[in-house]
Amino acid sequence: MKKAGKVHKPTTTRKRLFLFILFGWLLLILGDRVGDLELYQGSFVATYALAITSIVLLTGYSGQLSLGQSALMAVGAYAGALSIFNAGWHPVVGLIMSALVAGVFGLILGLVAARLSGPYLAGTTLALAISLPTLANQFPILGAEEGISFDVGPSPARFGEDFSQYKWFFWISALAALIMVFFIVNLLTSRYGRTFKAVRDNPVAAQLSGINVGRLKVNAFAISSGVAGLSGGLLVMLISGVSPSAFPLSLSFSLLGAAVVTGLYSLKGVILGGLVLVAIPEIADSLVSRIGGSEGFTTVLPGFIVSALLILAVVFTPNGPGHLLKKHH
Amino acid sequence: MKRATLASAIVATSAMVLSIVPAHADSTGVTATSIKLGVSTPLTGSAGLVYGKVPGAMRAYFDYINANGGVNGRKISLVIRDDKYLPTLAATQTTNLILKDKVFALVGALGTATHSKAYTAAALAKNNVPDLFINTGFSGFTNKAKYPTTFMVLPTYAMEAKVMAKVIKDNFPGQATFMIAQDDEFGSDGVAGFTTAGHKFSSTPTLYPQGSMTAARAEGALTALAAAAPGKPVLVLFGTTDVTATILKAAEKLELTKKFTFLAGSVGADANTLLALGVKPTTIDGVVSASFLPDAKDLTDPYVKQFIDINTKYNKGVTFDNYVLGGMNSAMLTVQALRAAGKNLTRAGLISAIEAKGSKFASAGLVPLGWSATSRVGYNGYWVSQLNAKGEGQPYGGKLVIYTTDSGAGAVEISNFTRPTMPKNGIPTNS
Repeated sequence: MKKAGKVHKPTTTRKRLFLFILFGWLLLILGDRVGDLELYQGSFVATYALAITSIVLLTGYSGQLSLGQSALMAVGAYAGALSIFNAGWHPVVGLIMSALVAGVFGLILGLVAARLSGPYLAGTTLALAISLPTLANQFPILGAEEGISFDVGPSPARFGEDFSQYKWFFWISALAALIMVFFIVNLLTSRYGRTFKAVRDNPVAAQLSGINVGRLKVNAFAISSGVAGLSGGLLVMLISGVSPSAFPLSLSFSLLGAAVVTGLYSLKGVILGGLVLVAIPEIADSLVSRIGGSEGFTTVLPGFIVSALLILAVVFTPNGPGHLLKKHH
Repeated sequence: MKRATLASAIVATSAMVLSIVPAHADSTGVTATSIKLGVSTPLTGSAGLVYGKVPGAMRAYFDYINANGGVNGRKISLVIRDDKYLPTLAATQTTNLILKDKVFALVGALGTATHSKAYTAAALAKNNVPDLFINTGFSGFTNKAKYPTTFMVLPTYAMEAKVMAKVIKDNFPGQATFMIAQDDEFGSDGVAGFTTAGHKFSSTPTLYPQGSMTAARAEGALTALAAAAPGKPVLVLFGTTDVTATILKAAEKLELTKKFTFLAGSVGADANTLLALGVKPTTIDGVVSASFLPDAKDLTDPYVKQFIDINTKYNKGVTFDNYVLGGMNSAMLTVQALRAAGKNLTRAGLISAIEAKGSKFASAGLVPLGWSATSRVGYNGYWVSQLNAKGEGQPYGGKLVIYTTDSGAGAVEISNFTRPTMPKNGIPTNS
């Protein structure tokens, strides 16, 4: 490497790899000690963390606000389902297709929306989030409201008959999330990743220093969409099938809300964000049973909590809670 | 090599032996004093407006039984989770019922798309969770291989369609016939039933995706059908009540209410709901439908009277209607199933009890129950009703005729079934 101060770059990557493997190992051990319910919830945490990663990449790092991550997750989910169910490919291929197809879709979307920014981009992605899932009703192959089955198959026979299906889901989702996040972290700490931050902080200065801002934004869209697509595939794996109702608009807002609350500009908070999203319905559940509300209230309350959190986060920590911590150094 | 071969032989044999040892009987959700049941069903949303009363009605009946000694000394509790009629939410809520609430059995799960997705996602077959008296008539649920723990209660939609075909043949010969159906397994089940019965519609049935029947779409469909046939064609509506309401209101707007004889499937013909959604009484007057329970307004029926009594005391503030009646009826069947399974209550035991004794259970149903070791079909027939302007469903033609059939290609027959006498005070004492 000819650039100054780059001698320790390979070591950093190796250190990071070691940390990720260690973390994965910890999760493996943890997975053996908890029950099915925790594994089920843990799988959702991993999936949401991955989805939040895509938002951090797109909005936090490349400065593009998208309200339509749920639509990109839907694209990935349907691509994966079609690959496994209709084309009969191996589930791993299905998940790769989820990322790839969504990534290509994001590339096209990025090109189309290249001239949009701020509220205009937000509005376009919002329209996408609302309209895309209903497309499933227009094309019979997409299975309309019943959707398409997304079956990763039972756990391998060598693990025994009693190997919990939920542990299997946890392994798959945690592993996929770890691999993808590792890739993204490496990308963002590379020289290429720094150009992202340059574009976000000052697009004009970035352009003047020779960075192709337009191309960068499009690439960010593509990569972010690929990540979102994979998380979409993992999400529908957990519910054994994709259907339009898996990707409501509220999902986009929940993910964005969690990203803002746990730190939009850094990947350090994505797991916490996933935990928050899984915890909110639980909190709503116990709140409602404590105050004795009707069961119908339980499904409405989480959306309300997310909105409240988002408002509070924006008002009190516009730059993310990380900045709050930094002040105390 | 020899040791390895011996070792693998031992492992293989043990595996084979272990695999034929039956799974230990599962009593999750049962304690010495309680039985926990669960249901995932729409409470909010457009389907919730229609079906939201059902779980509360079930719970009210269970409360009544609890106040009278429970089942073998155990009190029944019902965990209700709202799935808004969305398959994804049904999947996660049902999984929560199993993993989080750890219920003993499910009762009254609602919806075709919702429940078929929930069944797979929550691994009900693998956990051998009894899935009782589901609130859907999709005939796919009779498939024991795919849904080993499911017991239907509603007659299948295919059966309903076959009965309707016979009614059309007997009462409206020579008239053109059309059908508008929901575009999913529910609607196609109905379409298939007509085909099995040998009925041919004047034009291909119009299918609409669930949730897409807007007023404009309804008006367009009615205009096209009205133009397509002279006389008074029969229009079969195979959708949910909110869609029937949309179509009937469109007919009012286009002044086509007298142009068609409306034959509304049982899922979409609740008179109270239709009136509440704004359909005029004059439009409802004459709508033909089918049911297997007595009409909720029939105060001469002992079951109806008893359920109204329970509703007043244990379901305060809720008006008694066909949905409350259906919910309480299913709850009554559930209590008999739990009793029949005995004091040593297990999941496997509950399933066998319904197979062995279920067809003899007392209920408000005016048609026979079909559960057996080989069949998961509940009620296997319908009586044909006609609504009047007050929203009361009365036997079509003035006399109660009970039609029974199977879910396959069997013919529709007229039955002289008389239902079992109601247990005293509506409290089952079976064993």
